Amino acid sequence: MRDAEAHEYVVRFSFWACFQHAAGILLFGVLLLTGMPQKWPYVEASRWIIEHLGGIFAVRWLHRVAGIVFSILFVTHLVVAIAGVATRRNQPALLLNRKDFRDAVDNIRYYVGSAEAPPRFGRYDYRQKFEYWGLIFGALIMALSGFILYFPILVSRVLPAELIPAAKVMHSNEALLAFLIILVWHMFGAHLSPESFPMDTSIFTGKIRKEKLRREHPLEYEDLFGKQ
Amino acid sequence: MKRHRVARSSGVAVAAALVLGLLAGSASSQPLPESVSYCLNCHEDKQLSLGLKDGSSMSLYVNPQDFARSVHGKQLICTDCHARYEQDHPSGATFPSKRGYAIAAYETCKKCHFDTYTRTLESVHYELLKGGLDSAPVCTDCHGAHNIQNPHEKRTMVSRSCATCHVAVYQAYAHSVHGKALVEDGNQDVPACADCHAHHQIEQPGTKRFRLNSPEICIRCHGDARRMSKYGISTTVVQTYLSDFHGVTASLGRGASSAASQVVVTCIDCHGAHDMASPRLKGKEAMKATVAAACAKCHEGASPDFPAAWLSHYEPSLRHAPLVFLVDLFYKIFIPFVVIGLVLQVLLHLYRASAGR
Repeated sequence: MRDAEAHEYVVRFSFWACFQHAAGILLFGVLLLTGMPQKWPYVEASRWIIEHLGGIFAVRWLHRVAGIVFSILFVTHLVVAIAGVATRRNQPALLLNRKDFRDAVDNIRYYVGSAEAPPRFGRYDYRQKFEYWGLIFGALIMALSGFILYFPILVSRVLPAELIPAAKVMHSNEALLAFLIILVWHMFGAHLSPESFPMDTSIFTGKIRKEKLRREHPLEYEDLFGKQ
Repeated sequence: MKRHRVARSSGVAVAAALVLGLLAGSASSQPLPESVSYCLNCHEDKQLSLGLKDGSSMSLYVNPQDFARSVHGKQLICTDCHARYEQDHPSGATFPSKRGYAIAAYETCKKCHFDTYTRTLESVHYELLKGGLDSAPVCTDCHGAHNIQNPHEKRTMVSRSCATCHVAVYQAYAHSVHGKALVEDGNQDVPACADCHAHHQIEQPGTKRFRLNSPEICIRCHGDARRMSKYGISTTVVQTYLSDFHGVTASLGRGASSAASQVVVTCIDCHGAHDMASPRLKGKEAMKATVAAACAKCHEGASPDFPAAWLSHYEPSLRHAPLVFLVDLFYKIFIPFVVIGLVLQVLLHLYRASAGR
């Protein structure tokens, strides 16, 4: 049974989900490459990057274009997600609930050895949900503060002008936080952890090995295939 | 042959020099070299002049005291600079005009001051001269000819020589916080013309390049904590400008391969270039109005509140820009909190995985 499962796959992600992830990689990459040198403009490496991308005006233009496309993707994501749930085509599987907090505590207990087994996760475990909601709120902050920085004159007509330097501090720090979370949390979860090494391919192929699903998302597995 | 004649006649000059020295009395403590005295035999005559081709006449009078007190008085003799006149003098030759003579003769300076001379070849003044503007200054116009003083000791002298042509600019400078301190108090910490515009390699100041580089000029002094502390001026003005959007643009815009497609606000837009006033003396309200006017130059349709987006060189604090300060403080705590938390969980995960299940 288990040997057979090793080569069996289950569809996990829609094409839309895979597309969003790929577009996210590309846009996040461009935004980082054009944004970080602006955060530290006096570092030699930043100056090298800016010069080789065609100068500061080209870099700012690229950053804004990527920012606009990212914002459109973000809004589309929200519309599709909300519409999907409203029309009952999708399960709101990423919503946080009380079990997630319990799972987090139980998982830490398992890590330190005061619980025998890790908690049993559903379609998404609390770590994945944390990353998802971090991305949603992060994107919201980045898009709003980015808009303020893009149109400072328009903003200052309606709101206090101190919001502009505040938005700059917010945009710059939130970006750093997002980068560090991706670096520490996402790279570990998707690449370096013993369960995924060298790479968890499911968001690229759209499918997951049945056996991996059973191990990492047992509650979803049982929903699909029944208890054994 | 002719050389002999000069040498022989210099015997006469010795006697003349002695007489001269007695007549001049204590005007100069050092007696002039004999060959100089020999020349002065004639050139001390205030009436001595030369008719020029343009119909005017040029005085050939040299004030012996001026020369003796000049930096060259103890080191050079007349023929070091006026080399052509070693032989057959006066030859009866003349020059097109007084200015024509000055332009032809100034090249003699490069015999000793070659590095300085080559720097002037890259100056805006030389460009003008080359383009046919005879009034563009040459060495002697700023430094003088027979009365040359050490320009490092006489800084006001240099600025005054600029004033001969740049009258209005000099007037604005002389009334500025810098100019007043130099001209009236002899303050040596403030810049004279050449400290900002360079001494010999004087750049055209109207260009985008000069404008984008101009903060560097101000930073040379305003970034120097020791010099600024004497006057209670904070050097944070430098960091706050450089870390601001405009400071970054100015700094990166002047990179070799990226020409600035737009002009950006620099120090001089709010503080003035030659007429800079102390913002402290000018007062807060007047300074605010100046900043607002500077913003409006590029940011059309900005509200009167828009200049508040610029924190006026203040580091954010609870008093100045509390919102910016609090946002920054939040992230200063939140980022390490989140990242350390995540790293700890990653380490625990690895610990559990390696400890076996």
